[in-house]
Amino acid sequence: MVPVEEILSLKGFKFPGGSKRIEHWENWLLTDCTNSDQLPSNLVHPIALFHIPIQGVDTSISELFKLGKVQGAGSVGLEGYDWEYFLPLCEDIVYRFEGEVIDVERIQTESGGIFDRFVFKIELMNDEDELVARVTNSWRFWRKR
Amino acid sequence: MRDLNEYLNQEVPRLVIERVDANKMKTMAAILRDPYPVHWDRESNAILNLKGRVINQGPLNLSYIANMLIAWQGPSCIKRLQARFLKPVLDEETVVATGKVVEIIKPEIGRVRVQVWLSREDEVVLEGEAEIEISD
Repeated sequence: MVPVEEILSLKGFKFPGGSKRIEHWENWLLTDCTNSDQLPSNLVHPIALFHIPIQGVDTSISELFKLGKVQGAGSVGLEGYDWEYFLPLCEDIVYRFEGEVIDVERIQTESGGIFDRFVFKIELMNDEDELVARVTNSWRFWRKR
Repeated sequence: MRDLNEYLNQEVPRLVIERVDANKMKTMAAILRDPYPVHWDRESNAILNLKGRVINQGPLNLSYIANMLIAWQGPSCIKRLQARFLKPVLDEETVVATGKVVEIIKPEIGRVRVQVWLSREDEVVLEGEAEIEISD
């Protein structure tokens, strides 16, 4: 099992950060996956706040799994999301991204399972430095089921 | 805009997803660049006693809630989404997105809080809250 000190040391880890443009094809396919009609006015589907911020801070789901030292089916679970939308999110606009790991905690379940709660926050800004959106995601890295 | 008090305790029109589609999970995995095999490799899920099935991505489960809210109050109505994931949703299952207005948060801008949940038969698989700006 990953030593608890090692995983707790991730708290405060800052992602590299960067910028990203949400392209039409990506938003189209994403929206289609949700069973929704395409949204008007180049609006990005709100569910884009899962992967766009992760990619925008110049990391990836793979990198996050490496950071948490997990791999394989059953090793990861979603705990919760808190997504805030301050301004409309649109295609073909370059957004700037900053984020960090804000909490890590080792939890033992009543049934004897052990997981590490991994919470990270990412903010999206436009070119006028206005806050467009903020995501706070909590994942579970399972150590013992 | 209607009197916001008229919305209190009102149910949002439900959205039924008749069949969760494994092919959409594959496309989603590619878009997300998600290496987690539970969404596309049916064999990998034997370890979870789900051999032959695939697990829908959490964001897709949440998207059904988002789509219900958008159908109700328009494409820019969602100002905050909070979700807790309780159970996995598998391919071929039917799920129902449901919501109910529980609080008026900022009457001056028409913002209300909606309790939301996604259910499979009588089991809640995702629950949370949304802040919505009423437009009608």
